[in-house]
Amino acid sequence: MNLLDRTFDHSTVPVSGAKLDVQAIRGVEQFLFNEARLLDERRFDEWLGLWTPEGRYWVPRHHGQQSPFDQISMFWEDAVLRELRVRRIANPRNWSQQPVTRSSRLVGQVQIDGLDAEGRLIVSSSMQLTEYRLDQRQLAARVFHKLESGDDGRWRLHLKRVNLVNLDAIFSNLEVFL
Amino acid sequence: MTNDELAKLFRPGSVHKRLYTDKDIFDLEMNRIYGQAWIYVGHESQVPRPGDYHATRIGDQDVLMVRGSDGQVNVLYNRCPHKGAKLVTEGDGCAGKFFRCPYHAWTFKLDGTHMSLPLRAGLEGTCYRADNPDFSMKRLARVDQYRGFVFASQSASGPDLREFLGGSASTIDNLCDRSPVGEVEVAGGVFRVMQQSNWKVFYENLHDTMHAPATHESSVVAAREQSKAIGEMPFELLIQEGNGEPWAFWEALELRAYPYGHGYMEGIFDPNAAEKDAVTKAHQASLIAAHGAERAREIMGMNRHNTIIYGSGSPHNVFQQFRVIRPIAVDRTLIEIQVFRCKEAPQAVFDRALVYANLINSPSSNVMPDDVELYRRCQEGNSSRGGDWVSQHRYLGTDKSMPDGGAVSINGTSELPMRNQMAAWRHYMLGDDVSPEQEAAWTGRTPLSTAGAQA
Repeated sequence: MNLLDRTFDHSTVPVSGAKLDVQAIRGVEQFLFNEARLLDERRFDEWLGLWTPEGRYWVPRHHGQQSPFDQISMFWEDAVLRELRVRRIANPRNWSQQPVTRSSRLVGQVQIDGLDAEGRLIVSSSMQLTEYRLDQRQLAARVFHKLESGDDGRWRLHLKRVNLVNLDAIFSNLEVFL
Repeated sequence: MTNDELAKLFRPGSVHKRLYTDKDIFDLEMNRIYGQAWIYVGHESQVPRPGDYHATRIGDQDVLMVRGSDGQVNVLYNRCPHKGAKLVTEGDGCAGKFFRCPYHAWTFKLDGTHMSLPLRAGLEGTCYRADNPDFSMKRLARVDQYRGFVFASQSASGPDLREFLGGSASTIDNLCDRSPVGEVEVAGGVFRVMQQSNWKVFYENLHDTMHAPATHESSVVAAREQSKAIGEMPFELLIQEGNGEPWAFWEALELRAYPYGHGYMEGIFDPNAAEKDAVTKAHQASLIAAHGAERAREIMGMNRHNTIIYGSGSPHNVFQQFRVIRPIAVDRTLIEIQVFRCKEAPQAVFDRALVYANLINSPSSNVMPDDVELYRRCQEGNSSRGGDWVSQHRYLGTDKSMPDGGAVSINGTSELPMRNQMAAWRHYMLGDDVSPEQEAAWTGRTPLSTAGAQA
């Protein structure tokens, strides 16, 4: 099962430093802001296009969780499961998305953490996420993005790890990407 | 509310909506159902060493399961007998060699008995003695376990655990037997999901085959579209597509009802998957090595979807999960989702249980949100003045009674499981105030035997 491919490097701990000039850092920040905006505006197809084919979206279930393979996760999704989620959200008989979940993200404290073993850029940021569907819900997280530089000079998302502050809370549905 | 008034809430094949919305009825349920029945507390693997505890709820009571210094598992109310403070906060932890209340440092052995308190001299001349039970943590009336699954009852009388579980024990057996050494352990963490609805709504949904294609259309269609796009139907899509089977498929399934509201629903995935599926094949090989081919086939051949242990929740033997159902309020129900590792089975078996939990039972499931949404709508709709009765009529009068006091459906879309749950509900709530004739009219069947049956 591709989903359980244990060779996937899900670590967000850098193995070396990264030197980016101010303009490059602005570019990384713009990528993060744009990613957040695509989700807020429910432009899911464009959001899917940000990813590398092998990319993984991860929301651990536990603080400091080492791996998605030994423990359950709130989300552990490859391209197949991300696309599936978008298809379900888009289906006209998506009862739990009537009305839809609205959201607004505030992304800040962007830091360039370094590079992983394959030279991918590890960026961490702080996210405040306000969601509204029937009730308002406030979520907060430290978010790790692993970015790969594409041939076209654009960043591609290879790993997004969302460390929720309140992952021990009792949740109702978490059906849209964080 | 009197028993006469409660009895007026039933008609043949239907129940009054107040069962789901009335706070007084909920309070009575906490005493009469959750105060009597055996309720699953947790699995003994959650408290491996002396002092380890798992704090949870039985009905409206905060309890904790703790491993004693003698290795026995105790279940205690989570209350210090001094001022009433909860000894431990929610979740799992280790108390060490004894409990020590953070408020005034009273201490208790791991079976709840009083150890000591600071400055005993100040209690001289009072009724205080270490062996006065008023100064110990209170134990639940009865605690027992079945193959590592720990249950407790707040009532000193009633059937023993084995009799209570009846035929539903066969699902726990099969869950354990899927390990070559016959043992499972809770592993990987526990999901907790809140439903905005009455606890009975979820139980009734568990064997409600008619809801699957309608409620879950969005995830079924999405899984089919995705499968088409990638040209295959991997496990992670298959388990989301399964709800979309045609009516004839659901009609052919077997629904089995046991006394005390329990039952199971026949599996919805291909039982012959061993021939095609690498994980099942490896799993089967490990069981053949342990027990031989015939026994291995028997174990792997028990193809059940949700099993119901009424009051406790829904174990799933094939994918090794337990959705534990904890009523919080008349319109709030907490689900704890446990995942089990079959000890010494191939790693891929646990991997698949993990994937099933992540995709089907987590808060982020593509499938469950539509259920949870519909339960909430039932809760809100039943709070309106738009009608009083909830229908459970499908195949009423056709269920075949079995010698163990239970019944089996003649059609997999029968609402037998719901009627069986209501019979258990009346057994707990009304006791002998219901005549066998009245009960037979409401459930649409006459039991073959009253041995072990509720009426």
